Amino acid sequence: MLETYRGTYFHPRTQFITIDKTGKVIESDNILFPLKKGDEISSINPFFEGLASYFDSKEDNDIKFTCVHLESKKKQQHTCDIEFKTFANGQPSLVIIHDFSDHYEYYQEVAQSRNESVINSQILELQNKYLKEKEDFKNTFIANFSHELRNPLTGVTAFCSVLQKTDMSLEQQDYVEVIKSSGDHLKNMIGDILEMSKIEVGKLTIDEELFDFHKLIEMLAFTYTVKAKQKNIEFEVDFDDKIPKYIEGDKTRIKQVFENLLENAFKFTTTGKVTFTIKENQRRARKVNLNISVKDTGIGIPSEKLDIIFNSFTQLDVTQKYSGTGLGLSIVKGLVELMDGKITVESEENVGSIFKMNINFKYPINQENTSLENKLDIEYKNSLSKEKYNILLAEDSELAQMAVLKILSQEGHFYLDIISNGEDVIESVIHNEYDLILMDIRMPGTHGDELTKMIRSLPVQNCKTIPILALTANLYDDDKKRYKKMGMNDIIEKPFDETTLLSKIYKHLK
Amino acid sequence: MKVSKKIILLGHFGVGKSSLIRQFVENSFTTDYKVTIGVHILKKEVQIAPNETISLIIWDLEGYDDIKKTRASYLLGTHGFIYVFDVTRPATFQNLEDDITYLTNQYANTPLKVVGNKADLVTKSYLKENKAIFGVTPDFFTSAKTGDNVADLFTTLAKELVK
Ligand SMILES: Nc1nc2c(ncn2[C@@H]2O[C@H](COP(=O)(O)OP(=O)(O)OP(=O)(O)O)[C@@H](O)[C@H]2O)c(=O)[nH]1
Ligand SMILES: [Mg+2]
Repeated sequence: MLETYRGTYFHPRTQFITIDKTGKVIESDNILFPLKKGDEISSINPFFEGLASYFDSKEDNDIKFTCVHLESKKKQQHTCDIEFKTFANGQPSLVIIHDFSDHYEYYQEVAQSRNESVINSQILELQNKYLKEKEDFKNTFIANFSHELRNPLTGVTAFCSVLQKTDMSLEQQDYVEVIKSSGDHLKNMIGDILEMSKIEVGKLTIDEELFDFHKLIEMLAFTYTVKAKQKNIEFEVDFDDKIPKYIEGDKTRIKQVFENLLENAFKFTTTGKVTFTIKENQRRARKVNLNISVKDTGIGIPSEKLDIIFNSFTQLDVTQKYSGTGLGLSIVKGLVELMDGKITVESEENVGSIFKMNINFKYPINQENTSLENKLDIEYKNSLSKEKYNILLAEDSELAQMAVLKILSQEGHFYLDIISNGEDVIESVIHNEYDLILMDIRMPGTHGDELTKMIRSLPVQNCKTIPILALTANLYDDDKKRYKKMGMNDIIEKPFDETTLLSKIYKHLK
Repeated sequence: MKVSKKIILLGHFGVGKSSLIRQFVENSFTTDYKVTIGVHILKKEVQIAPNETISLIIWDLEGYDDIKKTRASYLLGTHGFIYVFDVTRPATFQNLEDDITYLTNQYANTPLKVVGNKADLVTKSYLKENKAIFGVTPDFFTSAKTGDNVADLFTTLAKELVK
């Protein structure tokens, strides 16, 4: 009985072969591979040619090979362990072939799935890395490029303001107005692109300051009620008065988010109504959670497009009917997420859309005693103490030089020195007593921020306190922080217009 | 009897060792990946001079991530090595320098060719610019898919074996 089992389960899968000193078969039991006396052992497989140098060995050798693939004459695959023995006593060499195909087949399957999964994960990792590099490159490129666009635009906007002050016919004034508004439009679009790329490379941060939330909403309500009248649509603000008056947050960014959504709603609504709702959801500790929504009765968004609406550069309508960069909503989403909020959209085509946000804001418990620094636009001009001020402009771009010169000369309060090379600035600061310095950052020679640091450390009276204002198109928050750290008092963004330039100058001369 | 020489293909798994051999011996290529376990041995006559051919006994080994794990008996009596890596997968060449040093120390007199395979997946300029990242300058950039440099690789090695 046992013998029968043996026969079924342990059927012989091992072949014994003896060979002579030239590799010819002497004897073989032909269990796996049929061989005749005198056949070359290598006729089974070229594997045995690799052993040729041992065929006439006069030493004891026992060499084991595992997992060798051999093919029988009938094209059958055998995966075998092979043992090769030579003997010092002159006995013929022995080849033992064990067929372990079943075992190795299983091993092959294991190795197959292991290798495939390792390779796939490596490829995935590489693809991600590649995608990320590409994305970073794109964003950096866009940031730098839009940054470069700002410089020539400074010339356009600044000179439009200057031009408007000259004697012009009504017709000419209209033309300038067109140039100016096109310039502003372009400036906004470049601003959008720059902002988006900053969000994507994680260079944008959210400031927290205390501000009057009610006032912000009132201001928006006023602006958009006027707009709605012009457009002949309805505008409703549903504002929950119980919301704390003062909250902590990034006022500029919050305003930007609201404006973006409102602009969007207005843009796509030709009849009906836009509703702006701000409701308190809950309060906990020093935090208030708000549900904010902007609802319109506009063209709506097709359901299959809802998923991509927040992606960069998506404008559903490609017919150019609606202008813009198509970045508005992705900026909104980016900003809301930076504030740890959530934004979602629901929409039905030809019925309208609703954008819903949920954002947490910190607020001071004691609202009564909260006083805000009066940030109203003070007429700095009136508080000037001197008749004339000496101003140094360190700037290499001729366009910017001319713009500043024109704007300041109209005022009649200023003497302006212009230096276009970083290296000469220090010299000039030592020998002249300036009341204020306008400092371009990227200048030949030494950069403006470095110069500021040097000026601050000069042992000359007044150098520690003289207001230094940066002129720059570089608006990364990191950079802004660095400029302040280097000792700059304020930053004037390029492209600047007359009002911004003058109000900042007056503010710091006071 | 005709001269026969044993050569071995080494390298990480999936770098294209079996594919290079298939291209060289059968002039074919498949995108399917069948993992080699143990060793497959093939034979091919190679013409090394107008009237001279040798037979190459080509050992296609299972890929390892550590060359020192290669079964010692496989390496017995080898006349030449081909070390293959995949130019697109850093994991397959991050130890290239160490592996090559190991081989040249252990088998000082055995010819060795270092091969960057799957060259069809990257541009020529990529290979030129990134030579440094491989750690060792490869003797050949090959493509088992297009056949680029494949015959050249084997023939060059074969010629060195009979010197
Ligand atoms: N595009 C391209 N793919 C290749 C090339 N060489 C191999 N491949 C592919 O790479 C995968 C692995 O090829 P194999 O030749 O099996 O690799 P191997 O080095 O023998 O792998 P192991 O046996 O596991 O050590 C297969 O899917 C091949 O189709 C090549 O030159 N170009
Ligand atoms: Mg293989």
